[in-house]
Amino acid sequence: MTKILLVEDDAWLAELEASVLVGAGFDVQLAPHAPAAIELVDSFKPEVIVLDVLLAGSTAFALLNELQSYSDTGIVPVVLCTNIADQFDVVKLKEYGVRRVVDKTTMHPDDLVAAVKSVL
Amino acid sequence: MTPLVAAAHELKAPLALVRQLALRLGDESLSASERQRLLRQTVLTSERALRLTSDLTKAARLDSALFQLEPINPDQLCRDVVSELQPLFEAYGRSVAVKGRRHPLLLVAHRDLLRRILLSFSDNALHYSQPGTAVHLQIQAFKKSGMVRVGVRDFGPALSSDMWRTLQDKLNIAPQKIHARPESSGLGLYIASQFATAMNGRIGAVRHKDGATFYVELQASNQLSFL
Repeated sequence: MTKILLVEDDAWLAELEASVLVGAGFDVQLAPHAPAAIELVDSFKPEVIVLDVLLAGSTAFALLNELQSYSDTGIVPVVLCTNIADQFDVVKLKEYGVRRVVDKTTMHPDDLVAAVKSVL
Repeated sequence: MTPLVAAAHELKAPLALVRQLALRLGDESLSASERQRLLRQTVLTSERALRLTSDLTKAARLDSALFQLEPINPDQLCRDVVSELQPLFEAYGRSVAVKGRRHPLLLVAHRDLLRRILLSFSDNALHYSQPGTAVHLQIQAFKKSGMVRVGVRDFGPALSSDMWRTLQDKLNIAPQKIHARPESSGLGLYIASQFATAMNGRIGAVRHKDGATFYVELQASNQLSFL
């Protein structure tokens, strides 16, 4: 079962996204903020990270910088799931490990599953 | 960032959540209890968004409106705010409570504006607090300055130094670019600051190792001596 780390600080949205991913057959662990995500990257060893941009107490980019600084975590593909998708260029984000950007304001649950599958 | 853009940004998150909840509700295999839970979440999320739109309307009319300031019992107001927010906090697995003050006091404020500031700070605290923790509404009096501080304390991840500096900027100035202040537009703090100024007060924040306190300081009422 493919392991997905879902980093989302809104508990209800996290629950919705996790249920969709679990329903699609993924093994999902939730992290509500960057420090929890870093711990889970070490212990859970995700194969894909689904990451919200605006996190409580931090931002996705602080977390991505941290992950990119290690050779084993820097290769995990990242799906950015955000309300401000229109402000990002996925090509420029590749250096952070970001492979897909999903717009939360328009996404259908199937879009998240498709985005995860596309980066595996 | 104009207030209009900041407002649009702030409303995106609750509207996106309402949309996702509605999409989930379309799943015919949901149990009745699960459907009820999702409906409750939809209502509570809509109410959070509506509070922001209501605050924006109020803030836009601050210049023209005449706000009658009066002696207010902050302890009672905090209890009213807690009653109003209890369902939302419970639904998120958190609690909210008033940390009472032994001796009653009064401050000079406009009841509705102060209530809106405390609702806004509490909503912010809900977002930043850890599951299972309590958010505290606290009241402190400062004899020397004659001010009363009403604060909302959350228990969550400590703010980094960079984020703390960013926050300090937000406390007194207009909403800024999302790129410069990535975690929010600062609109809620800006509105709270406008409301506090209209009551001859100010807002501020205290950083803790395990969270933060956002507060509003207002003049103590002279009627304090009669209590």
